[in-house]
Amino acid sequence: MLSYARVDRWLSRFNGPQTIGHSAPFWGAVLFVIGLGIAVPYIVGGYDLVNFTGFVLMLFLAMGLCFIWGFCGILSLGQGAFLGLGGYTYGVVGINLIEAQGNTDVALIAGLIVPVLLAAVLGYFMFYARLKGVFVAILMLVVTLLFQTFLNQTAGVQWHIGKAYLGGNNGLGRFSAGITELPSLKLGIGDLVYEFVGTSPAFYYLVFGLAAITFLGLRMMVNSRIGYIMVAIREDPDRTEAFGYDVRLIQLLVFCVGALLAAFSGILYVGWGGFIDPSAFGIYNNILPVIWVAVGGRKSLEATVVSTIFLLWLSQRLAIGGEYAFIVLGGILVIVMMLAPEGVMTSMLDYWARWRRRGAASGRRTGDI
Amino acid sequence: MSAVVPSGTSAGSIAPILEIASLSKAFGGVRAIDELDLTLGEGEIRCIIGPNGAGKSTLFQLIIGSVRADSGIIRFRDHNITRLHVFQRAHLGIAIKFQNLGVYQNLTVRHNLLVPLQHHYRSHELEDAIGKMLVQLKLEGTESLLVRDLAHGQKQWLAIGMALAMKPALLLLDEPTAGMSPDETRATGEIVQALNREGVTILVIEHDMAFVRQLRAPVTVLHYGKVFAEGPFREIEGHADVRRIYLGSSRR
Repeated sequence: MLSYARVDRWLSRFNGPQTIGHSAPFWGAVLFVIGLGIAVPYIVGGYDLVNFTGFVLMLFLAMGLCFIWGFCGILSLGQGAFLGLGGYTYGVVGINLIEAQGNTDVALIAGLIVPVLLAAVLGYFMFYARLKGVFVAILMLVVTLLFQTFLNQTAGVQWHIGKAYLGGNNGLGRFSAGITELPSLKLGIGDLVYEFVGTSPAFYYLVFGLAAITFLGLRMMVNSRIGYIMVAIREDPDRTEAFGYDVRLIQLLVFCVGALLAAFSGILYVGWGGFIDPSAFGIYNNILPVIWVAVGGRKSLEATVVSTIFLLWLSQRLAIGGEYAFIVLGGILVIVMMLAPEGVMTSMLDYWARWRRRGAASGRRTGDI
Repeated sequence: MSAVVPSGTSAGSIAPILEIASLSKAFGGVRAIDELDLTLGEGEIRCIIGPNGAGKSTLFQLIIGSVRADSGIIRFRDHNITRLHVFQRAHLGIAIKFQNLGVYQNLTVRHNLLVPLQHHYRSHELEDAIGKMLVQLKLEGTESLLVRDLAHGQKQWLAIGMALAMKPALLLLDEPTAGMSPDETRATGEIVQALNREGVTILVIEHDMAFVRQLRAPVTVLHYGKVFAEGPFREIEGHADVRRIYLGSSRR
């Protein structure tokens, strides 16, 4: 029997003081958005669907940054390192194994493991050395730019891993014999393999489904015991350690989750466009996510999702007119940081909550989100 | 208890909970703690006083581990904790109420209490423990308020409550009555004594002599990172040298 109390209990895992919204209307709205997401391929045409898929696959990068920065206070200006490394690893392993295996299972797993290993090593040196705030941010930017610089000069034929020629700034696999595109995601075992062609609705559903699961999973995590401690670490790491928590270890684990999500974006990006070049490690994938997350409200997964999709859409509209996108996005960031440093959506909801409380005090009947 | 006794013997026959031996810590050539010896008996309550810069707060930082000693040994019960991390010492049972409040100003009262209580309770028991704590700290009804919106005295009690929620064997209180009204100070003294009766060993840094007198506890005077004098408050109060370096002087 599906009773209201049961639904309520089940939903309570995803609810808590760390996230916006817990009421029936809120979850109704979430269901509506999911329904809308499912309907997208039936509403928009092929080209727009491919575009929209490109937006949605960046949500992993954005949610990962929101998770590590907004909830645990680790600002990284180099999440592109994990995105790029995930994409390159997937591509390199995929090129080498696709013929022998007929699927990209190993490439997918490698594309996730390698960036997480890098995050574990970097995180160990940063957090166990108790590096703080701005130093982590800058170190990560340096790491990602090192990757970009290195890969840019790998145009020579001596730079290859098996069949995969790194190709310098032409992009991975450009010089590999018989390869025009990097392998699309082919998942399954033996004869039961399904190919998620990057431009297909199937691929869109894969990305959208994973994004929805990730959103709910992160919501569950930030409202759990570890979530409370993450937020406490964001507010004051030293105090939190005096309360008996191994802050270094928690920061390291959280950082690895952020890297895993960035790697997802990288792999899906390759599966989507069949292409990756060193610019994946560049400014675009490192700084823009900070803008997406900060503009909506870094302490909110919900705000991050909305503002990421909106700003990606806006950038693309503006990109038609040239390089204006960066100027406009930078301008938006500056204005938001001055007027609503906690982010547009977070500030609006705070304001609304305060207004409601005042309404309640004066005896007006009010709802609850 | 009748004379100013050298440290190390004041605990008498009681087993020591904390033994500090020739502990030193220098910051850029200044010896904040200089070959310090201090022994604290299980269940004892002790006040540490001394002029500004005497090394009181540094001593606390050395005990909790946020500052590492240059030399010397700190023993807690059967453990040599000199090289342990802060969180490891916390697990052994050392809790601190920081001087500038150990609270998270931007989080709710409930969230603040959850941080230490999560070590000991889960789900329903956790809710019960939070409820009990709120009553004990006279903070009923404030659980969803941000701590920065509380009155100063309430913040101080919350900070002490959070340290207590760790269920410590040794509680370090760094100026627990700073900024409190005389009434609040007296109430705090009663709380501290009640805790001590329950078996918690307490080490207090305090400037408020009325509070120290109220605790009726042995006093250790620090000066230039060393133990200058040690004994009951009455003796210390009458000690000419102590008066000269600290009590009698209004200079800061």
